[in-house]
Amino acid sequence: MDVLLQAIAFVLQWQNLAALAGGTVYGIIIGVLPGLGPSAGMALAIPLVMTWHPATALIFMGALYKCSNYGGSLTAILVNTPGDASNAATILDGYPMCQRGMGGVALGLSATSALVGGTIGMICLIYAAPFLADFALEFGPAEYFLTAVLALSLIAAVVQGATIKGLIAAGMGLLLSTVGFDVIAGHLRYTFDWAPVEDGIPLIQALVGLFAVTQALVLAESAASISRLAELSGSFWEGVRTYFRHPLIMVRASLIGLFVGILPGVGQSSAGLLAWADAKRVSKHPETFGEGEPVGVIASETATNSCMPGDLVCTIALGLPGSVGAAVFLGVMIIFGIVPGPLVFMNQPEVIYSLFVALFLTSFLIFIIGMTVARRLAVVTLLPNNVIVPLILVVSLLGSFAIRNEMADVFISLAFGALGYVMLKGGFTPIPLLLGLVLGEMVETNYHRALLISGGSYSIFYASVICKILILLTILSLVGPYLGPFWKTLTQGEK
Amino acid sequence: MKEKLKLTEVWFKIVLLFVFSGFYILAIPYPQESGQFPQLLAAISLILTLAALAADFLRAQVTAGEIGDVDDTELKVVDTATRNVRRRRFYQAWAILLVSTGVGYLGGFLFSTVLLFGGFGLAFGRRENLVKNMIVAVAMTVVVYFIFGRIMAVPLLNGVLW
Repeated sequence: MDVLLQAIAFVLQWQNLAALAGGTVYGIIIGVLPGLGPSAGMALAIPLVMTWHPATALIFMGALYKCSNYGGSLTAILVNTPGDASNAATILDGYPMCQRGMGGVALGLSATSALVGGTIGMICLIYAAPFLADFALEFGPAEYFLTAVLALSLIAAVVQGATIKGLIAAGMGLLLSTVGFDVIAGHLRYTFDWAPVEDGIPLIQALVGLFAVTQALVLAESAASISRLAELSGSFWEGVRTYFRHPLIMVRASLIGLFVGILPGVGQSSAGLLAWADAKRVSKHPETFGEGEPVGVIASETATNSCMPGDLVCTIALGLPGSVGAAVFLGVMIIFGIVPGPLVFMNQPEVIYSLFVALFLTSFLIFIIGMTVARRLAVVTLLPNNVIVPLILVVSLLGSFAIRNEMADVFISLAFGALGYVMLKGGFTPIPLLLGLVLGEMVETNYHRALLISGGSYSIFYASVICKILILLTILSLVGPYLGPFWKTLTQGEK
Repeated sequence: MKEKLKLTEVWFKIVLLFVFSGFYILAIPYPQESGQFPQLLAAISLILTLAALAADFLRAQVTAGEIGDVDDTELKVVDTATRNVRRRRFYQAWAILLVSTGVGYLGGFLFSTVLLFGGFGLAFGRRENLVKNMIVAVAMTVVVYFIFGRIMAVPLLNGVLW
């Protein structure tokens, strides 16, 4: 408790509050730009913070990392383009809300989700960090493999609407993730001697193509602005009130986000989609999801925001980052001499708890910024196509180029843009493909590791209780959509 | 509304069959530990795609038998016209995008961005707003250049000719 009070006093010093505010604003701007995710934002900011006090630098970087997610949700809602993979779930209902002219409401839901999800996540993190780290250690390679398979099958089943098409898209994503050096033997696969993909298909560039370029092309086809009603209705505060009318979803999504966050390697992209799928499953009107259902935005955004603290637990307590952004954050910690591990809570508690307090305050800052700019930002949905389409393309392809300073990345984004467009016309959604691309390396690595541990025996995949539970949940997620109508037919037949 | 066989979806799945087969065949010469996982994925994806195609054809046969003598000629005419307009806009967008990217590769960020904004303004904007759209194109280019290139220090495309 003394450490916590000292941390609060430290954060309230003017230079740390300034770092907090600066990191918040910079993070939101970075998040708004498709392609320039938290990892690129933190990398760009490292020269700026090199001479600062370590705790102040971590406060800036932590605020940047957290707020970039909110920035990404703004573009996900307004232009159907997630700023980062973690915002993929928000487009499912956020963008349709905009098309119905409810952009202000969606932005209110997003800001409130950031406040509530972030607050719940941080409170749990502050008190439960050591225990959560112990639980994460129970997961071995087989458990991680099955967790990723569960995430993919759940998303394939609920997002696509037809399970088999979702699984095909996920399979495509997993196959694309095998391009480049393989994780076990280091053999080059499917590169055709093209150097830019030797390290694998770059994730951000693929995301930019699948969503930003595709969305720009879809908008270019139509003659109207994003908001089909050509007007805005609903206010930010209506979004806030709507949020608090669903306390159960708020709690469920927070817990899902926190649980997913503490599993190294799974990441925020899975948290949002899993929470969305769960909300749809328990809803009395699942058919409204994907058509602009506010509960969909609440679930995905709350889970993504509560996932980040859990992600930090693994990064700080175990040195295992759950995402690319967390990996860069880990690098920043090491640069400033803060060695991650269980002992960091004892050796440098003032630095770590200052970071936690700062991230707690960031949630309130996000809400205030959202309240101030939401209505102005929602005006983007009324811009004519000949302005919004090239703007999306310029900003997203610029972000794609800036990561590695390579023209090849622009071509990769354009290729994925073509793929995303063809998928949409072919009746597929790109979200399972994206998740397959994100989780592919984790799936393959843990698959091989598990087999190495067991000496080639597949029994390791159903040995532990956790594995059995994960297999059962995977089967239920695949057959669940068909059980409902079957049960209905059975009971109607009995009547 | 009776569901007919969606040709685009069927063709896409047929293309996927070739793609997944390609992944499987290309992995044959790889060492076993490298090729095992992609081959497993390709095989599973191939089976799922075949199952999806089979389901599509079975569903089409069932609905074909149910469709009566409903005359939907008028609907077809409207749909074709809309489809052609959308297709033309799509090809225009791609042409502008590819030409701008090529110009960017040769001349750099500024030329590429002006061409992109100007091209969309010309092709998709109203004729009476032509001058306004061109001014917007130049202004947006300058704004993006200053915000990204100067303030945020994001690396911009230089162009191979300079």
